Amino acid sequence: MGSIDVVVYCEAGAGQTEASNASLITAGAKLAANQGGRVVCLLVGNDIAEVAGELGQYVDEVRVADAPRHADYDPLTVLGALQKLVVEIDPCAVLFGHTHIGMDLAARLSAKLGTSLISNCFDVQCEAGATHFLRPMYRGRVNAKVAVEGGIIVATIQQSGARQPDLKGGGQVIAIEVEYAEDRRIRPLKTIAPTRSGVDIAKADIVVAGGRGVGEKENFALVEALAAAVGGVSACSRPLVDIGWFTSSSQVGLSGTTVKPKLYIACGISGAVEHVHGMKESGTIVAINKDPDAPIFRIADIGIVGDLLELLPLITTEVKSTRTA
Amino acid sequence: MKIITFVKHVPSSGATPRIAVTKRGIEEEGLAYEANETDLYAIEEALYQRFVHQGTVTAVTIGPRRAQAALHVAYAKGVDHGIHVLTEGSHGTDTALNVAAAAEVVKKQGFDLIFTGIQADDDLQGLFGIALAEHLGIPVISAVTQVNVSADKKTAVVTRELGGGYKEEFEVDLPCLCTVQFGIRPVRYSSIMAIVKARSRKIESMSLEAMKIASRQASRMSIAELSYPENSGQCQMLDGAPAEAVRTLVANLVEKGVI
Ligand SMILES: Cc1cc2nc3c(=O)[nH]c(=O)nc-3n(C[C@H](O)[C@H](O)[C@H](O)COP(=O)(O)OP(=O)(O)OC[C@H]3O[C@@H](n4cnc5c(N)ncnc54)[C@H](O)[C@@H]3O)c2cc1C
Ligand SMILES: Nc1ncnc2c1ncn2[C@@H]1O[C@H](COP(=O)(O)O)[C@@H](O)[C@H]1O
Repeated sequence: MGSIDVVVYCEAGAGQTEASNASLITAGAKLAANQGGRVVCLLVGNDIAEVAGELGQYVDEVRVADAPRHADYDPLTVLGALQKLVVEIDPCAVLFGHTHIGMDLAARLSAKLGTSLISNCFDVQCEAGATHFLRPMYRGRVNAKVAVEGGIIVATIQQSGARQPDLKGGGQVIAIEVEYAEDRRIRPLKTIAPTRSGVDIAKADIVVAGGRGVGEKENFALVEALAAAVGGVSACSRPLVDIGWFTSSSQVGLSGTTVKPKLYIACGISGAVEHVHGMKESGTIVAINKDPDAPIFRIADIGIVGDLLELLPLITTEVKSTRTA
Repeated sequence: MKIITFVKHVPSSGATPRIAVTKRGIEEEGLAYEANETDLYAIEEALYQRFVHQGTVTAVTIGPRRAQAALHVAYAKGVDHGIHVLTEGSHGTDTALNVAAAAEVVKKQGFDLIFTGIQADDDLQGLFGIALAEHLGIPVISAVTQVNVSADKKTAVVTRELGGGYKEEFEVDLPCLCTVQFGIRPVRYSSIMAIVKARSRKIESMSLEAMKIASRQASRMSIAELSYPENSGQCQMLDGAPAEAVRTLVANLVEKGVI
């Protein structure tokens, strides 16, 4: 039986986004159920027996390559393992998390297979015999419903905390050996852990984050003043790290830190998927943005359309007066 | 060193494109465009490598006539050559076809290092660079934040981003392709004057149709429908005068017990 099973590549290890595995398996299960196939998970890493056992609860089969030499992510080795699996079980789809590693592997695999890549999906719909993938385009301002004809579907799935996969139980865990690919033109040297300096934004109950909308560096004081008034910490989106105002330990998002405070206030942040990845699990999300169409309002609980230069001082004063009242 | 860098012309960040009546594309008319953001980082990295190792930087764009504006930006920043692969109609949206065309162009130019952005802000695919490297049979490293080419220019030590602040270092043989991540190097501001001046620079132009490239893609992805994202309905928008909105906001947060 071919072309009905679904392969999901799960992550576990340094710099890998394990939290993305859940939505990935949910999407895989949906596709497989539609086809009457199985979900087979591939896991490559070091010291990952526990993760493999855990994932076995949710999928039909886990193939796990667990060895010290897999401690560092090696695209070619994983790609080799994926290609072998594809030949063996002839799946209808291979899914990855929409993470740095998932994006890298998915693009490589789709290029190898000569198929399209459907990246960044936030939903899969199987209805009336048709399968559609939903994904953002144009910086998240437009959604596209995408159809695929023929060939193996290669897709990356956004992390969504809301959807936990259904417990299946009894998934087989099978140890496999994967070889280093023959092509040694890329040689992994080392993994570098992030240097955490200053406050740990992941531990704060309240995070006030500023984005590119802050404009000038002096204006960031307004973000800091509000953070101080509400007893929280300040953080930022990626562009402010890229221009050198802050180090990456202040950055919220996919390539920075994931935070889950009870209150997150986003000031002048548009709400790109990569930023949202790192904060959407927050308790209450407040967004302040001068653009009423900014994608951040779609995940916020409370929104104000306006200029942060005007609004932040007002909020800070109001908070202070409420506190002393 | 021969360095090639890709730059895509994409709708500007400020506005939401209007969806066409067919719902399968957007209305191009009246839309403002700009050079894709990560491609600006790629250009800066290309120029830095030229500064250290000498050689030339060629910028390539694939798109309709308007896409030449992306090359004006590249020229203003200091690239040596600009190549425009002209696409008409829907051909411009077929990634496989664009990749095949790009492969033809770079093979003709010769190259030691190729840079692309990590992803284009319009299609958000993150595929082009990796697919191009695959097509050319050269090694590729994605989400690159640092490139150190060895003195003999045969290898490079490249740092890429993993998730959550982790990074990984690779040694890679040249020629290779790097998809460049935001922030690899500061993007210098280009003045309007410099861009206007760049408009008179010579752009080598070729038509994708005339290149007679067949797409080798086995499966086809098509847009069934475009839509504006729905507001999940949960966001309470505080309209009204700023002072009033702010009072409501703070009262709300106090009521929720979060502050
Ligand atoms: C692989 C990858 C990983 C990434 N990782 C991360 C990550 O970890 N974290 C991250 O943040 N990004 C990340 N990004 C980048 C991400 O795609 C966006 O580019 C980034 O999040 C945009 O930051 P921003 O919202 O601050 O800026 P912009 O998108 O430029 O938005 C600025 C916003 O400010 C508003 N504004 C402007 N002026 C004002 C004003 N006076 N008052 C109020 N509002 C105003 C504008 O309307 C706009 O919405 C990553 C990208 C990739 C490809
Ligand atoms: N039509 C194009 N012209 C020039 N460069 C492109 C084009 N399409 C993609 N690229 C390059 O490939 C990167 C990734 O694009 P994408 O795979 O579309 O997300 C972009 O940042 C560009 O550097």
